[in-house]
Amino acid sequence: MEMKTQTLLKKLSRRNEPYIFLVLLALCLLIEVRSGQFFSSNNLVDIASALIVPGLFAIGAFMVIVSGGIDVSFPALASLSVYATTKYLLDTNYQGGVWVAIVMALAIGAVLGAFNGLFIGYFKLPALIVTLGSSSVFKGIMQGALNSKQLTTIPVGMREWGTSSLFIAKNPVSGLTSRMPVASLAFVIVLALVFLMLRYTMFGRGIYAIGGSEASAHRAGFGVVKTKFIMYIMVGMIASLAGVIRVCMMQQAHPTNMLGMEMNIIAGVVLGGTAITGGRGTLLGCMLGTLLIVIVENSLILLGVPTSWKSVFTGALIIIGTGVSAYQVIRMNSTRKIKAKIQEVV
Amino acid sequence: MKKVIALVLLVLLVMPVLFAAGQAEKKGGYEIVVVPKDASNPWFVRMKVGVDEYAKETGLNVYQRGTPQIDATLQAQLIQDLIAQGVDALCVVPVDLESLEPVLGQARDAGIVVVTHEGAALENVDYDIEAFSNAGYGAFIMDNLAEAMGGEGVYTTMVASLTNGSHNEWADAGVAHQKSAYPKMQLLDAEKRVESFDNGDVAYNVAKELFKKYPNLKGIMGTSSYDAPGVARAIEELGLIGKAFTSGTGMPLDNAALLESGVVKSLTLWDPALAGKAMIALAVKVLDGDKIEGTVDLGVDGYTNMKFKAGSDTVLEGEGWIVINADNVYDFGF
Repeated sequence: MEMKTQTLLKKLSRRNEPYIFLVLLALCLLIEVRSGQFFSSNNLVDIASALIVPGLFAIGAFMVIVSGGIDVSFPALASLSVYATTKYLLDTNYQGGVWVAIVMALAIGAVLGAFNGLFIGYFKLPALIVTLGSSSVFKGIMQGALNSKQLTTIPVGMREWGTSSLFIAKNPVSGLTSRMPVASLAFVIVLALVFLMLRYTMFGRGIYAIGGSEASAHRAGFGVVKTKFIMYIMVGMIASLAGVIRVCMMQQAHPTNMLGMEMNIIAGVVLGGTAITGGRGTLLGCMLGTLLIVIVENSLILLGVPTSWKSVFTGALIIIGTGVSAYQVIRMNSTRKIKAKIQEVV
Repeated sequence: MKKVIALVLLVLLVMPVLFAAGQAEKKGGYEIVVVPKDASNPWFVRMKVGVDEYAKETGLNVYQRGTPQIDATLQAQLIQDLIAQGVDALCVVPVDLESLEPVLGQARDAGIVVVTHEGAALENVDYDIEAFSNAGYGAFIMDNLAEAMGGEGVYTTMVASLTNGSHNEWADAGVAHQKSAYPKMQLLDAEKRVESFDNGDVAYNVAKELFKKYPNLKGIMGTSSYDAPGVARAIEELGLIGKAFTSGTGMPLDNAALLESGVVKSLTLWDPALAGKAMIALAVKVLDGDKIEGTVDLGVDGYTNMKFKAGSDTVLEGEGWIVINADNVYDFGF
């Protein structure tokens, strides 16, 4: 029994998640000490609802990074598909439920994702270059073809869905209330589906295999090109879903205010122990890393960090966090090498 | 057949010219043209309302002509056309200051009076009109916030970023005004100024945090047009309607729902229709040979007590701010 606990601890100490979890816990306790508000029911609901959109983006970014690529186009992709959807539904004076909006945005997201997938998968161009380019293209379509400006009213179905709540948390002391949006269900569902897919399907394992070594994956019989292509379509759809949720929750469609989110999202994914070189990482770690970023972004005032020092603080935390992950990777690689050496010698 | 078609086309072509000529003859006095950034932006559609009203009231040949889309080159071409047409005065809301400078120079060389709006840095102008001074507008926002807060309680200020020039000037002026006019109000010492990055979602999240951390916080003074609406969303969700307040710049139609539901009592803005009128009124004064000095009264609401900006002899600042509330939110068309 003791041996078992020991090996379990040893195993855990080699993984990244426990460290992130500890950092997260320490941060939460620090915020609680400084404000006395962190563990209040309404604050926890606030954090959860602030996690929905970055969380969905992170799932997509995670899949791409695990496959050995990198995607910086997802905020532009999401903006374009949700903006086009909202504009179309407004122009046609659509009065129905949110489903049409979601389906439309997913469809546009799939097409835009396929655009990325085509160049990265079939033409084998570097993902960073392609997504940097497509990000500009998506922004350009929004500004040029759609003549984008802020849409301050959104279709009634989207508005109602965005403000409907699963439950409302009330802080008994301050009397402040926060609502848990129904949209959080969408996030949970996507998270569960992607988790199952990555773990139990050949397609999901293929993503890991490609990220580990494309050549090996190919020889092992994975359809590298097809897997990548389909994966970018899925990522486009997930990002578009996030876009729809964001617009519904904000009650307005702003063409540019999601842009620039990609850096913190990717930082969160890497923070969660996903190897930036691909092939390794867990969805749990990715979520912990994203949660850490979301909490930091939404708790600096609770912490009492002065506004002028905000970005310094966020940046420092990202460096420390990713540093820990990077250190873990180095340590793991060196033990592997040593083991390999020992085997050679024996 | 071909000849008939050609003839019809020719008549069609000539007709507008004939009518235009007739129009010009009918109206006496000066020909003054207002050139906005573009013709379709609701902001400038509203400006046209003011211009047309002015034309009707005075009977002068005053009209607004804009390019189909916001484009510095198109605007410059349009102005050159108008110079060639020999108008008496041009009232311009410039798209791009630098590229317009030489064109406005040509206009002045041709003896045309040039008045601009939101172009304080321009040199080749007779005068530039600004709706307000930064200090005056900041104090005005504070008056609105103080009214909502009942003149007492703790408040803080929100800007797009700590480096934004005008927002911080407004906020500074608002705070200074509070200190002299509303002694019962108090600036939140721990967070004197927060940032929204011109993003409604950030404003919303920051406001939620502020109200959680500082339970006695009663008001937030917004500056960017995203601030007050974002804060209002937080006030609504936190269940603080009637207990916490916000005011700041905001576009009417964007915020109609918030104003009507009473989450926000008033927002502040300036009215492009009045700015349009003020430009023409000033141009008429210059054409009439009136001396522009000291305080200038243009006979337009908010532009009756215009003063030169400190250190400038071309930039005139008014008090052209307006309150937007549930009663007038639909009056502007934008």
